[in-house]
Amino acid sequence: MPDVVAEAENVWMEYKDIIALRDVSLQVGEGKIKVLFGPSGSGKSTLLRCLAMLTKPTRGKVFLRGEELTSPEADIDKARAKIGFVFQNILLFHHLRALGNVTLGLRRVLGLPKQEAREKAMKALREVRMERWVDHYPAELSGGQQQRVGIARALAMEPEIILFDEPTSSLDPELKGEVLDAMKDLAKKGRTMLIATHEMHFAREAADEMIFQDEGRIIERGTPKHFFTNPSTDRARRFLARLVREGQSNV
Amino acid sequence: MYEFIPKYLPFFLKGLQHSFILALVPLALGFLVGLLAALADVYRGRTASTLISIYVEFFRGSPLIVQAILFYWFIPQDLLGMRIDRLMAALLVFTLNSGAYQKGYIKGAIEAVHEDQMTAARALGMSKLKAIRHVVLPQALRIVIPGWTNEYASMSKSTSAALAIGIPELANISMSVASWTFRSFETYTFTALLYFIWIFFSVKVLEMVYERVKIPGFEA
Ligand SMILES: Nc1ncnc2c1ncn2[C@@H]1O[C@H](COP(=O)(O)OP(=O)(O)O)[C@@H](O)[C@H]1O
Ligand SMILES: [Mg+2]
Repeated sequence: MPDVVAEAENVWMEYKDIIALRDVSLQVGEGKIKVLFGPSGSGKSTLLRCLAMLTKPTRGKVFLRGEELTSPEADIDKARAKIGFVFQNILLFHHLRALGNVTLGLRRVLGLPKQEAREKAMKALREVRMERWVDHYPAELSGGQQQRVGIARALAMEPEIILFDEPTSSLDPELKGEVLDAMKDLAKKGRTMLIATHEMHFAREAADEMIFQDEGRIIERGTPKHFFTNPSTDRARRFLARLVREGQSNV
Repeated sequence: MYEFIPKYLPFFLKGLQHSFILALVPLALGFLVGLLAALADVYRGRTASTLISIYVEFFRGSPLIVQAILFYWFIPQDLLGMRIDRLMAALLVFTLNSGAYQKGYIKGAIEAVHEDQMTAARALGMSKLKAIRHVVLPQALRIVIPGWTNEYASMSKSTSAALAIGIPELANISMSVASWTFRSFETYTFTALLYFIWIFFSVKVLEMVYERVKIPGFEA
């Protein structure tokens, strides 16, 4: 078992009239790529947000490299700086150019000097092939380009893990590929990633493990091969069949 | 018709100078008041919001001229038994009044960017304060400019309320000139023209500033 980077332990998230997560436990080891999938409303975003402590679970514990983030003494800001987050609706900083979006955290969170931040940011932007667009404002970029900047923004912080919340689902079909390619590159470089996505092509190619979630619970886990040949639960089988039928993904 | 105007021009200009001070100082200080009130309203608890809404409703709910009289005559002199300078009283009440309006504009701008942009900033590891400073405000203070321009124009005209406490600003001066010369029509049309030029060109400048600093493709 490689070192555990991020961990959820018996996590519950209870909202006023809905329980978004029911006793979810999950570990992501160093260098692992895990894909989280399941119907809309099954709690994928909530789980990712809890792991990044963007929302605090109502019960259970969250760890980063063994440090309990749910403890009252935890320095959450410091922990978040080590957790990359890529959003479904991208959320670039509107007022900053692509480069500024990537340097902001380096300068204001890590406190790097300007030149060093710039070099690190350029390196991250090159990794997602956005080095030619550094002087563009978010509104001047396509959705796929914006999301690649979003990935570079997370990447530049040299995080322990990157959490992706359906990074391509807000994009037009023809723009998904460039983002998925960037993610595959990161996977090849051994980054630790937890990715909520319905891109089954990507999952088959890149995932070490897939996790099927429904109604706030983890229903089944296994390798891509397991899920694509012989999933053991009906729910997972039906969901995968529906993905194929709706053409969301060609498995 | 307007041949007497040059003779009185120095009075008009002196009046205009007072009006400038009565507009610009409260607009600037009111910006600080409005900014702090907006931040406290959005980011502090319920108590802060309640206090702020009492403040805002008080200053929005009565005419500026009445507020000026209250703050010059009744509150300091009758209630507290002290004399205060007319100009100081006017600057104070105008600042509080403008701050109340500016708070509304600034709060609206903050709320337009707050939620998502705050999430993205916090996810990078920024503290709330840093996120406000480096992400929320740089955007909010740009998109607030058009609303702020309205407040500028409105405040510039509202300086005439200071005549109620005897400050020789432009409206006050023109009343005097009209009574000295018995040439009301010419005096007031000329006065209106001065206000118009002042506001028209200021608004043009503010619009140019906005065009320069606005975020490409992003208007709330
Ligand atoms: N802030 C919130 N307040 C109340 N309910 C929420 C909130 N966030 C999410 N939920 C609910 O929790 C459930 C799981 O949502 P989510 O994690 O977004 O699912 P998914 O990402 O899998 O689509 C949904 O029923 C959703 O409506
Ligand atoms: Mg979601």
